[in-house]
Amino acid sequence: MNLLVILQDLLWSGIAAIGFAVLFNVPPKTLIPCFICGASGHAFRTILMELGMSITVGTLAGASMVGLLGAYFARRYETPSLVFAICGAIPMVPGAFAFRAMLGVIRISQATPAAGEPILMEAAINFINTGLILAAIALGIAMPTLLFRRRKPVV
Amino acid sequence: MTQETVSEKPPLDRDSLRDVIDLSLWAGQMLLQHGADTDRVEHTVHLIGTSLGAEWLDILVSPNALVVTTISGDEFRTKVRRVVTLGVNLAVVCAINDLSYRISWGQVDRAAARVELVSISNLRHNYNRWVVILMVGLACAALSRLFGGDWAVFLVTLVASGSAMFVRQEMVRRHFNPFIIVVVTAFVAGAVASSASIFRLSPQPQIALAAAVLLLVPGVHLINSFQDMIRGHMVTGLVRGFTGAVISMCIALGLLLAMQLLNVGGL
Repeated sequence: MNLLVILQDLLWSGIAAIGFAVLFNVPPKTLIPCFICGASGHAFRTILMELGMSITVGTLAGASMVGLLGAYFARRYETPSLVFAICGAIPMVPGAFAFRAMLGVIRISQATPAAGEPILMEAAINFINTGLILAAIALGIAMPTLLFRRRKPVV
Repeated sequence: MTQETVSEKPPLDRDSLRDVIDLSLWAGQMLLQHGADTDRVEHTVHLIGTSLGAEWLDILVSPNALVVTTISGDEFRTKVRRVVTLGVNLAVVCAINDLSYRISWGQVDRAAARVELVSISNLRHNYNRWVVILMVGLACAALSRLFGGDWAVFLVTLVASGSAMFVRQEMVRRHFNPFIIVVVTAFVAGAVASSASIFRLSPQPQIALAAAVLLLVPGVHLINSFQDMIRGHMVTGLVRGFTGAVISMCIALGLLLAMQLLNVGGL
């Protein structure tokens, strides 16, 4: 795996993160940390996947990194960690998996039982991947709170 | 929180208690509307209420309403507030978070908190709409590079998602149904992105189709859904997840419509 690939990954996932950060109307001072969170999380996932890990495990590791960086930036910029966690996780969100699953569901309606079988399988695989990756993202970005800020529930 | 710390607070009269419940509920409503997860809503409402003088708050966060009971001495009051739209505006979440801390440090009293909440609810967008269009276009185009697209795909995706974002802003301004907006926006993104396939601009034109609709993906709903569920807020988690699934379905519908009308395949 060469360095150029990783640098490109860093650049594009960082741009994706700040693009969505602007859409979500984050305070302008947080754009650079959002870039760093998005870029490092996604690039970390790419590196782990190149090393042979599954996308789910890679996402868990990448999202944990986003969560830890977000907890650090939250203190430094006095901004809720959710801003960095959400924007940093956005490049990893399985958007393409999600709508491919739905595309499959729509296509099944027009298929015969025999022809529908592979479409159904593909839709199911996409759907399961969406769920697993999302769970990994949620668990990863919640990692700092789950590990270090355990508190008694207030309500 | 122990009983001793609670009983130190002087009991509030009914009018003050009404003020406290009003302010904390308002803050909670804005949080829920603008993309905070359930845990954050609960903690912030509780912090604001107890810092403004109530002894205890019982909070029920439902996907489309908030119920809060404030307790002080022998008095208690309960209020329900409907939460209509679920959008994302993290500037509001930041502002409320900041306000809740300043209230808890005793820097802001009830009257000042009301003034601040009014100004937060009128908060202007940080970014000009054309900046948003450009950045959203760039974000989707960047994702197309991550999917392995070439520069032609990059440009087509940039134009497609930028124009889709423009359509989305116009429709949001005219208060169309949110799901209809998603279908139409996905259709526009798909139709423009089909040009990569129609004019054979790239060997992998389907990447442009897949990337151009990503601006619509309900990322915050989906992430918050699982965030809520791992913290035990099953009802809000399920509803957010289902909302995300319906929005993904609308994306697929709009995209499919564009692909069938323009006779483009391959996704």
